[in-house]
Amino acid sequence: MKMAGRNAALLFFLAPAFILIALFYLVPLAITVYVSFTDMQNWSLYTLRLLPNPLFNYARLFHMMLYDPDFVKVVYTTIVFTLVTLAFNVLGGLGLAIAVYLMEERLSGFFRGLWLLPRMTPVAVYALLWYYFFLGSRDGTLNAILMALGVIDKPVQWGTDPRLLPWSAWAIIIYVNVLVGVSFGMLIFYSALRSIPWEQVIAARVDGASTLQLVRHILIPSIRWHIMFVTVWQLLSLLTTYAHIFLLVEWGVVDRWWSSTWALYVFTTAFGLGGGGPSSTYQGLAAAAAVILALVGAGLGLLALRLLGFRRMIVPPKGEL
Amino acid sequence: MRAASRGAITAIIIAVIVVAAAAAIIAFRGGGPSATTTTTAPPAPPATSPAAKTTAPPTLRLTGNLEEDVVNIGRFLASHGVHVVKYTAFSKGDPNSVMRVYAIVEAAYRLNKILEKHGVDLRIEVRPVFQRGGSPKAEDILLAYQQGTNPDIVALSYVEIPVLAENGAILDLTNWVSKYSSLWQDFYKALRDAVTYKGRVWGLPQDTEARPLYWRVDVAQCIKEKTGKDILAGLAEKIEKGIVTWHEIYEYMKLAKETGCAEWGIIHRKGSAHPDLIQFIYAYGGRLEDPRTGKLVLDVPAVYKWLYTEWKWARDGLIPENMMHWDWAKQIHPTVVEGKTLVFIGGTWHWTEWQTKPYYTDPKTGEKRPLTAEEVKKYFYFTLFAAGDHGDKPVTLSQPFVWVVASNAGHDNPKYDELKEAYRMLAFLLVVKASDPDINAIHSIISAHLPVRHAAAKLLNDKAWLEKLKNLQLDLSPEVKKAIADIVKKTVNDINVEFLAKASKMLEWTHLTPKNPYYGQLAAIFADAVDKVLRGELTPKQAINYIIQKIKSDPRLAENVEIVGSIPENWKYP
Repeated sequence: MKMAGRNAALLFFLAPAFILIALFYLVPLAITVYVSFTDMQNWSLYTLRLLPNPLFNYARLFHMMLYDPDFVKVVYTTIVFTLVTLAFNVLGGLGLAIAVYLMEERLSGFFRGLWLLPRMTPVAVYALLWYYFFLGSRDGTLNAILMALGVIDKPVQWGTDPRLLPWSAWAIIIYVNVLVGVSFGMLIFYSALRSIPWEQVIAARVDGASTLQLVRHILIPSIRWHIMFVTVWQLLSLLTTYAHIFLLVEWGVVDRWWSSTWALYVFTTAFGLGGGGPSSTYQGLAAAAAVILALVGAGLGLLALRLLGFRRMIVPPKGEL
Repeated sequence: MRAASRGAITAIIIAVIVVAAAAAIIAFRGGGPSATTTTTAPPAPPATSPAAKTTAPPTLRLTGNLEEDVVNIGRFLASHGVHVVKYTAFSKGDPNSVMRVYAIVEAAYRLNKILEKHGVDLRIEVRPVFQRGGSPKAEDILLAYQQGTNPDIVALSYVEIPVLAENGAILDLTNWVSKYSSLWQDFYKALRDAVTYKGRVWGLPQDTEARPLYWRVDVAQCIKEKTGKDILAGLAEKIEKGIVTWHEIYEYMKLAKETGCAEWGIIHRKGSAHPDLIQFIYAYGGRLEDPRTGKLVLDVPAVYKWLYTEWKWARDGLIPENMMHWDWAKQIHPTVVEGKTLVFIGGTWHWTEWQTKPYYTDPKTGEKRPLTAEEVKKYFYFTLFAAGDHGDKPVTLSQPFVWVVASNAGHDNPKYDELKEAYRMLAFLLVVKASDPDINAIHSIISAHLPVRHAAAKLLNDKAWLEKLKNLQLDLSPEVKKAIADIVKKTVNDINVEFLAKASKMLEWTHLTPKNPYYGQLAAIFADAVDKVLRGELTPKQAINYIIQKIKSDPRLAENVEIVGSIPENWKYP
């Protein structure tokens, strides 16, 4: 009786969360999987029928992966973009958080506000800013500055010059995303650092700890949970992000294929890239690519949790509390 | 205890997942729109025959007499208690092309007058929605259609017809158009073909254009002064006869560059190969579609010559290597209107766009301003798009806009299910009325598009009518007058009308790109190939292999494209 009552209570309190998760995560996931088994095109419901070979889109994708000279660029770009941006976002966020933590409060507030600006700026405005900055003509801000300084004598096509590819295109999309992404880690880490009992910091200082020792032995070990959270969160976000990159690709300031991540490929396959020509969109193919992305994301997320010692962190503490 | 409750929770989670997945699969198992009847989507035609039929109920038939038809429908609707009918007209384009929607507003104004004259208690109201940009996309319209939020009448590129027709989103107008045969026959033949898909008529032509080569007169004059060579002397005729081809034009462009008369030999569009650059395929005697199989064609010799031509220009510094990434407003147009190029592959609409948009930096004031009509005439000479090789023919390419009527036209009006045929017919009559010669001629003049009807083309030569248009003394609805007043002031003049009359003759050489659902995907591959040869990333031969590889790498595209011919090894350019 007591057990049944306990389960009923559990169910009562958990049901709203289950329903929301089912509605907004599981049902869309099931729909995506289903669409990936269809030949849905141009958002036409008429094409939303199971294919004779339901795995056709996966086979098509695999075939393109093997034979399309551009598709491999999408794969490389996704790997490089995700890993490098992740490193910058986590380590940069950590560095910034520690810097602002050690700063005088008034200066720290200004500094944090400054780093939040890219995140607060609307995506289109922010992307437009960098579009004009990296534009490969005399009108491009970077070109104008370097030409005025005499560093270059003619404009450089930063994101599209084949002699600079893929590094320049990767550098641009990583740079533009890092400026936005790094503030997330900074905020989380900073608030985590602020929750460390001040006495611990003072005690370390009294014991003669240098700033480096303080960071290494007190601050970072105290926020391991947050580092793990930010790393996993950012990893999954970066795997699926495309908004800023989409605009830079759409406006032609970076090479289309050396700047397309898998997530952007899913988006442009489902919604088209614009560009003035007549376009067809392939939701079945995009859904198959999305399912693969979700599986890769889930696998990488679990791997990251394992590598960062998630299990060890949730072990109940020893001794009396 | 703890393990037991954990097990129960896990079981609940699994149950929720299974139920959610099963619900989603059951919801979509039907496959067709019939499975979505719980949404607000309008009832769609059967999946086996998606195209909506236009069979009228016995009480309502179109006669081909517009006045009689509108009065009959008006009385029919009024007798069912409907006194106001609302439609939405949607289109996109440059700011001067607002008549793509205001023509429907004007048509409503004229039909309302007829209804009033006959004492019919019905009024048609049209909400115009016009956005900047290219053509509305079929998938956007289709998506809205499936949600029941689509506009009733849309002016869009004819290439969007197949997707909309195949999915039943637009009306098959064949039977109704046959009643208005005199109007139908007055449209240019190429444009009648543009609205015909699989033997059925899906819309009415709204406007068209041609894509001339614009030549800077001042740059040519400069070349003449420095070298004595008068490249513009009889050039239009020479191009028309195929005497001047892209081989000779290469030499002209080189002269422009070497003499310092222009920074570039040629400038063209950015981003997409469709439609401007596709002209090269036709100019080099190639084709894009196999009429026997209906499949797309990769015409290897023609595409190779096109890519080689662009590659050669870029290597010789005649065209920017990053041409496909230039900015329209900041780079392409200013370069053209300021005379930094000898040739520009443009469109007829640019003639008035340069008169209305501030691309030109006035050397006296340093301020940006539009060119005047006189300046445009003074600076620009235009010709057909030249033949590729000697023996080929010059071309131009049109991408007509067409009006289509949604299968659920009038869906926002009362008693829709009962009266939908009347609402659809009335929407069709709006499009018929919007095709009036004067409405079409006004659109042509103010947007520099070409008229779609012979009657409209004739009106362009009517000086008295033009004078009235210039002063807005025509009998137009106040709403339309207000919408076009500023554009009329800037664009209606003898220079523009003369330009249109001359440019209309280019339609004799016009080509249309295929209405094939995979054409966009192929054109996008062409665009990537052009970009790669311009930037020197690929040689023309490598670019052809790249295109073939791209086609073959997608099994769906591969089965829809025939690859014909081989690289012409002995061909030389220039």
